Amino acid sequence: MKESRHAGGKKYMPTMHDSKIPVVDFQAKAHELLPDNASYDSCLSCGLCSSGCPASGFYGMDPRRFIRMAMLGMNEELSNTPWIWTCTLCQRCAYVCPMNIDVSALVGFARGNWPKDKKPQGIVRSCEAQMRFASTSAMGVMPDDFVEIIEDAVDELREEDERFKTIQAPMDKKGAFFFVNQNSREPATEPEELAPLWKIFDYVGADWTYASKGWAAENFCMFTGDDVTWKEMIRQRVDAVNELGCKVWVNTECGHSFYTLWKGVERFGLQADFEAESLISYYAQWIREAKLPVNSDWNTKGLKFTVQDPCQLVRKSIGDPVADDLRYVAKQLVGAENFIDMQPCRSANYCCGGGGGFLQAGMNEQRLAYGKRKFDQITVTGADYVLTPCHNCHSQITDLCDHNGGGYRVIHFWTLICLSLGILGKNERRYLGPDLADIGLPKDAL
Amino acid sequence: MNGPDPAGTKVFETEVLIIGGGVTGTGVMRDLAFRGIHCLLIDRKDLNAGASGGNHGLLHSGGRYASSDLETAAECRTEAEILKYTARECIDECGGIFAAVEGDDPDFATRFPDHCARAGIPCHSLSPAEARALEPSLSDKVFAAYAVDDATIDPFHITLGNVNHAQQLTDSVYLPHTEIVDFEIVNGTITSVLCLDTHTADSVRIRAKQVVNAAGAWAMNVAKLAGCADVAVLYAKGTLIISNARISNGVINRLRSPGDGDILVPGGTVSLLGTTSDTLDNLDDVRPTIEEVDRLLREGIVMVPGLEHTRFIRAFSGVRPLLQAPDADVDGRKTSRAFRLFDHEDQGLSNFATLVGGKLTTYRLMAEKTGDLVARRMGNMSPCKTATTRLPSGEGDRWTEPGFTPRYWYNRNDPTDAILCECEMVPHSAVDAITADAVGAENHMTLRAIAVRSRIGKGSCQGSFCAARVTSHLYDRDLYERCEGRGHMRDFMSERFKGVRPVLWGKQMPQMELAEALHCGLMGLDLQGPRDDENGDGTT
Repeated sequence: MKESRHAGGKKYMPTMHDSKIPVVDFQAKAHELLPDNASYDSCLSCGLCSSGCPASGFYGMDPRRFIRMAMLGMNEELSNTPWIWTCTLCQRCAYVCPMNIDVSALVGFARGNWPKDKKPQGIVRSCEAQMRFASTSAMGVMPDDFVEIIEDAVDELREEDERFKTIQAPMDKKGAFFFVNQNSREPATEPEELAPLWKIFDYVGADWTYASKGWAAENFCMFTGDDVTWKEMIRQRVDAVNELGCKVWVNTECGHSFYTLWKGVERFGLQADFEAESLISYYAQWIREAKLPVNSDWNTKGLKFTVQDPCQLVRKSIGDPVADDLRYVAKQLVGAENFIDMQPCRSANYCCGGGGGFLQAGMNEQRLAYGKRKFDQITVTGADYVLTPCHNCHSQITDLCDHNGGGYRVIHFWTLICLSLGILGKNERRYLGPDLADIGLPKDAL
Repeated sequence: MNGPDPAGTKVFETEVLIIGGGVTGTGVMRDLAFRGIHCLLIDRKDLNAGASGGNHGLLHSGGRYASSDLETAAECRTEAEILKYTARECIDECGGIFAAVEGDDPDFATRFPDHCARAGIPCHSLSPAEARALEPSLSDKVFAAYAVDDATIDPFHITLGNVNHAQQLTDSVYLPHTEIVDFEIVNGTITSVLCLDTHTADSVRIRAKQVVNAAGAWAMNVAKLAGCADVAVLYAKGTLIISNARISNGVINRLRSPGDGDILVPGGTVSLLGTTSDTLDNLDDVRPTIEEVDRLLREGIVMVPGLEHTRFIRAFSGVRPLLQAPDADVDGRKTSRAFRLFDHEDQGLSNFATLVGGKLTTYRLMAEKTGDLVARRMGNMSPCKTATTRLPSGEGDRWTEPGFTPRYWYNRNDPTDAILCECEMVPHSAVDAITADAVGAENHMTLRAIAVRSRIGKGSCQGSFCAARVTSHLYDRDLYERCEGRGHMRDFMSERFKGVRPVLWGKQMPQMELAEALHCGLMGLDLQGPRDDENGDGTT
């Protein structure tokens, strides 16, 4: 395993350009960016960071080595190591560090220090796409396109299912309580995945809106390590929410899009006239309030489920309260006896390897090697399905299953909520297996 | 010394026996080997076990002694220039500053450039702002400052280099852990020396034409054992503390009459603050104390305020073997740093010489004078070559250099070469090279011996992890057997802890809590005697 990690190192050539990476004084930078009692000087060399880091071993690096090399003045090596693109900035190292040292702060800085032409171009291009239109979409979905796609999808749903003939997907509705963002993947490539969430809002009678501007739930600019573009993305989104006067910005089932705004507002001192909340917390609240009367009666086969805690949402942002909500929702949906946690989990969960721009970085060999730890964790649970409220986790864990010959499937919560409520359409089941293809469909649809 | 040797006595023949594996003894070894002479070097412990391992690693410009000891100051200047050429790879020409802060004697500061000029020491005046631009850690209360050509030298590297070169030149030999028991003297000539191998308890007899006593602080004891009462050494204990990271770009000296805590010297990736000076009556149990550390910091903070919040990882002590003239002051600080070579002819011995005093910076000159005497006695007319010939650069000597091993490992990019010491990034291959080829390499080599030849145990964790990992590795390599590794680990950690104990506060405290959890809580080494059950079968 370790050997293949190193071999990958020699092969990795981001581009053929010859621009130079400036040499940074990492020890001084750590001193500047981190609190004195949690700077690199406090490191005990204990290695808790490295032993829990799935990127340990790539290019001969791991988090502890990053710190030690900084302390030993190996600035040229640290400035140039491509390892920083295999670190997903998941902060598990910081979470388990007895001295609270955050290695990722300097990894993020090191990313920003690379000239643009040297950075993994997939991440750079995603950021550039976001910068291009007011939608801030990394997949280049323009504001007008978004409005049209949503309108079309609403029309289709109204026509298809009598029960939803008056359903709304409000756009730019001033004064709506909830501002809901939208990952670009659904409008761009799988519009049939849009409706389940609308059905849930409809079910609970939520006062919500999309916006034609600043709606996208992704931010690859943050992963390029460039604070200027990170800030610009968040500024546009914050402005969009402020403009509509919404009380709560609800982040869809996506991990880093929560972190990037929640953290960005604080980091860049932006004026946000709203609260940032996770959709998961509302799922849990609506279930507790019986607004979403879900149950596990449908799970007659006793299918087993596990949950992937998105690092960006759980460890890096809200912490264990949202991990508790994830489990509460999951158990209500599948039956407590059918829920099996991975170990470790919650804030100590391992990153799957889909975050930090790794999926876009073009380093597939390393990304799949990184994710092997997650694959093994899932396999041990014996779960048939992995529930995750994160698009990057979703893609990566699906990839891991294909690559390693696993037997599980990966789904979003909205799919299962609608399934349990009996409102999941036939075409909204692309991620479900044959075992759930017909469950909860109206009789005439069968 | 009468009667036959005990059975199993090992016998060695050589031209010159040198006692003491410090920088002076190894310097003499190389000097003589250059003249084609075969040497045998012994040390009761190991290389750099005395003052050569317990110092700042400062290659003096001479500025330190310019105001009090002109002869030493001038010697330092000349010798430092020679070493910068001949031992380039052991030296960091970082430069130095002398700075006076509020409260220091302004007259002393004013006279400094004249004193330097008289000793021929280059020195130029800096404004306080210029001084602080060069050394941002310097106090803003600086009122006078001068730049000098101070440098630093890795005392371990130079010692290893000397022995290595002597081995190459004349197949000279180094024997560690070999202690003198007695001199056999016939008609005013030492005919042989009886020693004890303290690791194996074997007797060792060494026959040599000439014997050089370079035992440093122990030189008086060795001379007495040979019946010479003319050597008087003043023991001046000095304590230093090591920071976790490098604090200054170059050497920072306090511009005042030498006192405690007035030199801050970079040592590659760390910095060393020193020193204290306290005269001792004997050499038993020399270890740094909390009181000394407090004294160092109290003074050091005045010059470099950031020291107040600096993480220190260890303190250590050395004993300066100062030359005590019959009428001399007993204050070590005021005693001359001059050296003296005793030929002991007035003591009735014709082939014995003892070297006392001097400094790390002047060791080569001391070795040259000794080499001249010994060679002359042997009828060897070859001139000294150490002032002009460079020390060969061998990768095998460079493991002690801070920052060398991590780069070596990183550039090799060999995934099978696992790191054993995480703090200093020392991999398998380095430990293998040391146990196979280093000066004094042997089976059952102690962790301390490996540490003298590398950066093992010198990082912030002070051996917590590498002690166990290197030990495990040596079992894998069949260099350790049965339960001996536990004893080696315990010895090593006990030695490190002597130095860690006086700096246990702040960030180093949790580090040692972790060390205790590992070595006492997990491995139970505190419940085991120093060398208990070495054979693993209940016997010792």
